[in-house]
Amino acid sequence: MKRTTDGLIAQLANELQPVRPLRWRAGMALALAAFAMAALAVVALRGLSEGVAHGHVSAFFVVANGLLLLLGLAGASAVIAMASPNVGAQHQGPKWALAMVMVLPVAAAFALLGSGSADHSIGGLHAVYCIALSLATAALVAAALVVWLRQGAPVSAPAAGLYTGIAAGALGSVAYGLSCPVDTIAHLGIAHVVPVALAGAMGRIALPAFLRW
Amino acid sequence: MTADEAALARLMGAAQQGDRQAYAVLLEQAGRWLRRYFARRVAPQNLDDLVQEVLLSLHRKRATYDPARPFLPWLAAIARYRWVDQLRGEYRAATQELQDNDAVDEGSEDAVLARISLDRLFARLPAAQARAIELVKIEGRSICEASQRCGQSEALVKVNIFRGIRKMAALIEKAQ
Repeated sequence: MKRTTDGLIAQLANELQPVRPLRWRAGMALALAAFAMAALAVVALRGLSEGVAHGHVSAFFVVANGLLLLLGLAGASAVIAMASPNVGAQHQGPKWALAMVMVLPVAAAFALLGSGSADHSIGGLHAVYCIALSLATAALVAAALVVWLRQGAPVSAPAAGLYTGIAAGALGSVAYGLSCPVDTIAHLGIAHVVPVALAGAMGRIALPAFLRW
Repeated sequence: MTADEAALARLMGAAQQGDRQAYAVLLEQAGRWLRRYFARRVAPQNLDDLVQEVLLSLHRKRATYDPARPFLPWLAAIARYRWVDQLRGEYRAATQELQDNDAVDEGSEDAVLARISLDRLFARLPAAQARAIELVKIEGRSICEASQRCGQSEALVKVNIFRGIRKMAALIEKAQ
């Protein structure tokens, strides 16, 4: 027998328990805690790079990691907002931040045009380590964001998955960047941006199945 | 009598703190609002099921409402999500055409409610996709009937339904 709407309302009202509303600030605190843990894990396992340890980093390092940090924060902020649905929410922040970060590979391409060996300029095998370890670091941030989203009610799982991947990839790249000794624009613009693209693609493909409700 | 936005937001805030009486009133008002919201966009025989689905979702996800923000855009996002979900669901053969008297009086909607309406989702679709969805998923016609009515091939009707629903799913929060 089909239940009536009145019966359902009575049942739901009777079952009601107090809940703590999901707050954007609490979500951001969770994301930042995951980022801090990721950074601490990188420092504990690999140590700080010489430049970071002594405060002698290149301008490229500051620009690249600053843009990636902003992208990570914008992405995390959008993901946390997506947990609380709202008609009218546009979630445009990460798109602009991503556009700014995309300047880095373009700058890297220009740098490579004038260099003798592209492979050497990008960092050779070290670039592959950067990509792999940035992705591993990103997993911690991604896990925190997925936990938050699963508590919430994201109404666009593909977009939530994509932004989760981008945010985690960017913050993972920044965290790993603390131990990376190469701070040329060719290396930073490629080896530290590729993890963002890969994590975004993985999030878009793999996460929606876990985010539907 | 229909509660206004501010009253619904207060009731939801009280419900989050465990006030069962406020919650019962809220659900009753939300149920009424949802019936008007879905009018013309849901086959009458599916309306009760959909309203109940949304009320259940509201209950399960009530922690995601931020008491500092308006209530209806939050409810509308959940309603749109469940509605798109239902459109994706299996087509039920035994459906009846929508009756003219099911239409809602749009003149009574204020600007805010119009912005969160389902029509805003439809308006973002190409006409062929919107027509295919209306004929098959809302009016309950077969693919063959829909094809004859709108002049699209049967394959195109299916493709337009699939693409239209996918597009609306991506626009649940954005279309206003």
